[in-house]
Amino acid sequence: MNVPRMTWQRVADSMLALATVVEATVFAFIAPGFFSLDNAVNVLLSVAVTGILAVGMTAVILTAGIDLSVGSVVALTGVTGAMAAAHGFMPATMALLVAVLVGTATGVVNGTLTAYLEVPAFISTLAMLTIARGLAFIVSGGRSIGDLPSSFGALGRSVIAGIPAPVLVMAAVMLAGSFVLRRTVFGRHIYAIGGNTEAAWLAGVNTKRVIWWVYVLNGALAGIGGLTLASRLGAGVPNAGQQYELDVIAAVVVGGASLFGGRGTIAGTLWGTVFIGVLTNGLNLANVDPYVQKIALGVVIVLAVVGDEISRRKRSAG
Amino acid sequence: MRAHLARRWSAAAALLFLSLVPAACKRGGSSAGTASKTIGVSLLTREDEFYRQLEAGLRQGAAAHGYALVLNSGDRDLAKQQSQIDDFIVRHVDAIIVCPVDSKGIGPAIQRANKAGIPVFTADIAADGGTVVAHVASDNVAGGKLAADYIARALGGKGDVGIIGEPDVQSTIDREAGFKQALAAYPGLHLVADLNGSGTRDHALKAADDMLQAHPKLNAIFAINDESALGALSSAQSHHADQLIIVGYDAGAEAQRAIAGGTQLKADVAQQPKQIGERTIDAIADYLAGKAPAARIAVPVRIVDADSVKAMAAAAPQQ
Repeated sequence: MNVPRMTWQRVADSMLALATVVEATVFAFIAPGFFSLDNAVNVLLSVAVTGILAVGMTAVILTAGIDLSVGSVVALTGVTGAMAAAHGFMPATMALLVAVLVGTATGVVNGTLTAYLEVPAFISTLAMLTIARGLAFIVSGGRSIGDLPSSFGALGRSVIAGIPAPVLVMAAVMLAGSFVLRRTVFGRHIYAIGGNTEAAWLAGVNTKRVIWWVYVLNGALAGIGGLTLASRLGAGVPNAGQQYELDVIAAVVVGGASLFGGRGTIAGTLWGTVFIGVLTNGLNLANVDPYVQKIALGVVIVLAVVGDEISRRKRSAG
Repeated sequence: MRAHLARRWSAAAALLFLSLVPAACKRGGSSAGTASKTIGVSLLTREDEFYRQLEAGLRQGAAAHGYALVLNSGDRDLAKQQSQIDDFIVRHVDAIIVCPVDSKGIGPAIQRANKAGIPVFTADIAADGGTVVAHVASDNVAGGKLAADYIARALGGKGDVGIIGEPDVQSTIDREAGFKQALAAYPGLHLVADLNGSGTRDHALKAADDMLQAHPKLNAIFAINDESALGALSSAQSHHADQLIIVGYDAGAEAQRAIAGGTQLKADVAQQPKQIGERTIDAIADYLAGKAPAARIAVPVRIVDADSVKAMAAAAPQQ
């Protein structure tokens, strides 16, 4: 069962890669400044936070779950991280520590509700979406937390060998995520649960514990994403991250993951993230009307998913 | 298993609903009789410095006139705002103030209030539909013009200009329209990009990144609010676009610090949200006293640059 799925996934990934190349070629002709190394870096930088979040979301979706709270958790962890940095004692380290801890705490709540109390993930994480947003406004007093020590900007603004730090963070998180999903027992259990929870449970997988950990880790990753964004903005912003959950879910689904669980890879998610990033960037550079951009994004998401579904059926039939 | 779960959930939902009903009734009953006049307010949001100031102005005005305020926020959700207005109608408040989430969409709710004989006032954002006694707002078109004039002066009438807008909200659409109108009077200024920053810092940052990528020699950006301007500032700093001039809108505390600190954010159009709140209550007081307030009350805006920020700081050290 595993072997054909992985092969299929590879075909889907290469098709999406091809679609991205086609998309980029079109923009190279119509969008000023698109075809340059500078802009390639710019696109990667613009999707870095989405890409970090998409790794955790891939794991969540593999278990047939969903996490709607990541955008709000990005805001909450950005704000609390910024507040930790404001004290001035090892600002960058303290900020990262606090952001990851707070993100993990939201993940523990999501995971406990979803895995052990059997609240549907859509509901538990929807509740966390509003709770985390409310908390972000309460702890910050509704204002952006700015005027921070300059080292707070390290994660978001430094450039190493020509590559912005957020892109490196995204690359590291994706490599780690891919390793965990493909090479560890925990990763195989995630696929098994998504394929058939009952069968996985009968085979001796502690399904609840695995699902709990998936939400906890996703919360921790949202903390890393939230601090990366805050660091780039130079401030913890309570209304940041709005609708990120939708961007992230779109990237994962365009990347070939199934919302019914069991199918999806980090490589696919990377391509999905880049594909949507190139689309928004190209439309912006071509100065396409913002209303039209919204429609284009929706159409492309539908096309990608429908195309994926059709070719998958063809393969399983033939 | 599944049916069992569903039953449990509907039972939980029913319990939650039942526990809310008496609380809602209690709230409705207690404050109705305490003050002479009650005013229902549905704000656009409370998560914004501008609206906090506006709310402060409303409270101050209400305290001065001895009115009781029932303050709600639509949280940028039209359905929520409509049901808040319906609640006000049921309570039969003496007047309603709305800052519409959606100018057109709020029309039917206002008509229902009209039918119930409750006077409706709008603040900051106008409504389209129903009868509104008075609309109190900044002159946003004039604000956009001020921004264009400032940029024209700073660039000597020549250069490439971009806009970071928020095309979902009427007040910011007006700012953009005023900016474009005034820009047309300067043949040397070219509008080369007009992107959506959603009015938030993170989305504006991405829009500015793309704008500076497409137009590395861009001379100026007009951002339709402070969050957008501060996002554009982050982008300009990381692109080392030192020649860029950014003009924002709202002039909140953080933007004022950036303007005074010699960054690329050079100026802001300042509104007076607190005054909008106070003038709205004044209009209600006039109306309830039998006088007819003006249908449109424009609260003036002004441009704020490094000099005026420093002057303001010197005049009022605590703000």
